[in-house]
Amino acid sequence: MHRTLVVDDSPTMRRMVMASLREVCSGGFAEAASGLEACEQLALGPVSLMVLDLNMPDMHGLEVLAFVRRHPTLKTLPVIVLTTRGDAESRTAALGAGASVYMTKPFTPQALAAQVRELVAQP
Amino acid sequence: MTTVAGAETFILFTVAGTTYAVRSRDVAHVEMVEQVTAVPNAPAFVDGVVFSRGQVVPALNLRARFGFERAAYDLATRLVVVQTGGRSVGLVVDGAREFASFDPSLIRPPSAALAGLSGRYLEGIANVADRLILVIDLPQLLLFEDPVLPDHA
Amino acid sequence: MSDETFAAGFMDDYFAECDEHLAAIRRLLLELGGAAASAGPAPRAAVDELFRSFHSLKGISGMVGLREAEALAHHLESFLRPLRDGGRALTDEGLDALVAGVDALEHVIASRRDQRAAPPIDAVVARLERASPTAAPVEAPAASAPPAPQWRITFAPSPALLARGVNVDTVRARLRDAGVILDAAPQIHGGSIAFEFAFAGALDEPTIALWREDGLRVEAAPEPLAADAASTLPAAEMATPVGPSHVVRVDLTRLDDLMRMIGELVITRARLDASLGRVEGHVPAAEWRAVQENTQVMERQLRDLREGVMRVRLVPVGEILRRVPFVVRDLTRDSGTRVRLELRGQDTEIDKFLIERMMDPVLHLVRNAVSHALETVDERVAAGKPPEGTLTLAASSIGDTVVLEIADDGRGIDEAAVVARARAMGLEVPDPPLDRGRLLELICAPGFSTRTDTDRASGRGVGMAVVKTTVEDLNGRMSLETTAGEGTRFVIELPLTLAITDALIAQVGDRTFAVPQAVVREVIELDPAALRRLERHEVAPFRGGTLPVLRLGEVFSVTPRPGRALHAFVVGAGADAIAVAVDRIVGQREIVVRSLDDALIQVPGVAGATDLGDGRAVLILDLPALARHRAASLRRSMEAAS
Repeated sequence: MHRTLVVDDSPTMRRMVMASLREVCSGGFAEAASGLEACEQLALGPVSLMVLDLNMPDMHGLEVLAFVRRHPTLKTLPVIVLTTRGDAESRTAALGAGASVYMTKPFTPQALAAQVRELVAQP
Repeated sequence: MTTVAGAETFILFTVAGTTYAVRSRDVAHVEMVEQVTAVPNAPAFVDGVVFSRGQVVPALNLRARFGFERAAYDLATRLVVVQTGGRSVGLVVDGAREFASFDPSLIRPPSAALAGLSGRYLEGIANVADRLILVIDLPQLLLFEDPVLPDHA
Repeated sequence: MSDETFAAGFMDDYFAECDEHLAAIRRLLLELGGAAASAGPAPRAAVDELFRSFHSLKGISGMVGLREAEALAHHLESFLRPLRDGGRALTDEGLDALVAGVDALEHVIASRRDQRAAPPIDAVVARLERASPTAAPVEAPAASAPPAPQWRITFAPSPALLARGVNVDTVRARLRDAGVILDAAPQIHGGSIAFEFAFAGALDEPTIALWREDGLRVEAAPEPLAADAASTLPAAEMATPVGPSHVVRVDLTRLDDLMRMIGELVITRARLDASLGRVEGHVPAAEWRAVQENTQVMERQLRDLREGVMRVRLVPVGEILRRVPFVVRDLTRDSGTRVRLELRGQDTEIDKFLIERMMDPVLHLVRNAVSHALETVDERVAAGKPPEGTLTLAASSIGDTVVLEIADDGRGIDEAAVVARARAMGLEVPDPPLDRGRLLELICAPGFSTRTDTDRASGRGVGMAVVKTTVEDLNGRMSLETTAGEGTRFVIELPLTLAITDALIAQVGDRTFAVPQAVVREVIELDPAALRRLERHEVAPFRGGTLPVLRLGEVFSVTPRPGRALHAFVVGAGADAIAVAVDRIVGQREIVVRSLDDALIQVPGVAGATDLGDGRAVLILDLPALARHRAASLRRSMEAAS
């Protein structure tokens, strides 16, 4: 498994996500605190999974997602979208933009790990 | 207090000929007494402060505390550094060389006859192999009233 | 592992991040408040940033399980939503509700940090729901059109460029420094990713050449870029995300460990010095010189190291001061006063530990000034003063000391009222005017308050007493200046370092003591024959006046050695000066301060103990405490005599 890219403007949040996924993500982690940084990390090396927060200062998470889904090879990248909003509209928007999984904060570390396990197990 | 099935270890020390004990787990270490720096206006039974493993601890003279005549420090004098309730305090005793292991259920409350000045500080008395060992109540020993501030006029 | 255990490991990060967000929020609220005061529309960028901060706080608070903070952040976020539409002004009521919400949020987070129960938040939440944040749409001032892009700059990230420090963040910073970024979007070129920036700014040939060397493609913009539905950036400045940066968060206890280790090094070096001194006679002169040089270099390096570590603990005093504008605002609204707040020296650095301890005392002094010292507008005008009162908070550092001043141009302290209250409490006090040191003592006495009503804004009489004990606990000093009708000034001096300090070593009889250099104003010689007795005290003629003399030997019941002259440390200034006499001053040393923690050995006049290199404990004296004690006693004698 290659690196897992954790995208969130909160350093605390990033650390919590990485700690939750330490057992599951064998390829290590890359971090990004903004949408543009996320795209840069995607350019710099192979990524097997992206955990993406929607609320970011420069590019909204959905725009990052849309960008990834336009990319010839990245369009199949598994993406878990994290957000604090739980309404049906956002869920639809996220899944419509190509999110593989949509999770609302707060979530337990076990829940996140379980989602990731399921995702990466898929062929 | 729960009855412990089995023995506990105690450190024994002597003050004016009598043997006292404190639980090993309360003792940080025992060392020879080097220089004790007097602290003016401290309680009478506090000889002063001493550096022990980089920390400044009070040196509490047990002879004074128990109402005995003070004696000069000699080669046998020891500082038993105890830790309890977050405090580190050194006890100046005449000698400390022994361990003892016995069941705490052997400790009986001190009788009124044995009260006296040191009786206030005892948890009880244990008869171990025909030897009388006075077990110290550490928190009580280290308690003190606020010092009265002398007016340096 | 349970959720609680999991979250517990991130609390330090959580609190540090909350601090950063709250600091930004305070700054943004001031900006919004300024716009509201001038009845203009709320600046869009500030509202967006504020919204995002609340949103982030909501997220991480939820993750660590601090429900009240999550709820508050959620309501603050919802509150701001209508404001984001732009073109609307924030009402005063709205701003007040926002500020109350942020205050509550801060309290909730602090309560978790201190492991207390969270305060109730229902009232604040209800207030946020009730208050309407916006007024009717306001005519926005004609916004100038954004500059037309002149350049298209493309950046394709690569590991090679990354190794040279060229990444999307540094490129953004570079562009922002040189002009305005109008748009930034990732692009797909074949299978690779690049960033395209629409940029407006003047670029000269050398700059363009430099940027091209760093892998940027710089071209003139083809035509004005049409507003693109997929355009990713709001115009102009982007907020700097709280991201991987050059800042490292350090646990304060790790810094304490570092300081302790350095302290041990200082002691070991002292021991080395002592040992070397003993072998000096056995070493050839040339070798000895080399040894000396090396030890001197080491001493200097140790000092540098110590100062370096201390610097890490320093934060700008502005952190304490950032709350002050809000406190002032709250109080002036209720009291009919107008206050101009002057903050000076916010960059002055102070140990983080001191900041936390001084926060409440400083705020208490501010509340006192605004609620009681400063007059209403009418009163001021009647007195011929400018209608607006001035409250000045200034911080500065002199060598090893930080000086905080809280000054107002209000009524000044009512000495008659203070004297009356003191006498009512059973204290013996002379008639005014009072010595300022005595006045300060009185108003800081436990239970002292000239206000008979419980004044919510300023708290009860405990306030000043706590201020005084906090300052003294920190080895600091407080002094007071006040003039009726003109104003009052509190000056607080705090030592910058707590653990290692320069000290003068003195001897009385056969006892050795250490005196922190910072408190000693002067070292003088006294002729014992020139001392005069005043009741039970001694005084010495000094510079045309008299100086009370305190013999250390008497204080500590040590027999002094008879000698020709007495040496004395002068402590305190002006009317509070006192000379503490010893037999001999041995020299000056750098010492590691060890505190006397146990209650059995906490006596007045002794601040701690240190090791001068031979393992013996040497007491560190608290001369100001001794002097205060003596000064108080002397004053009482003088009052009785007059």
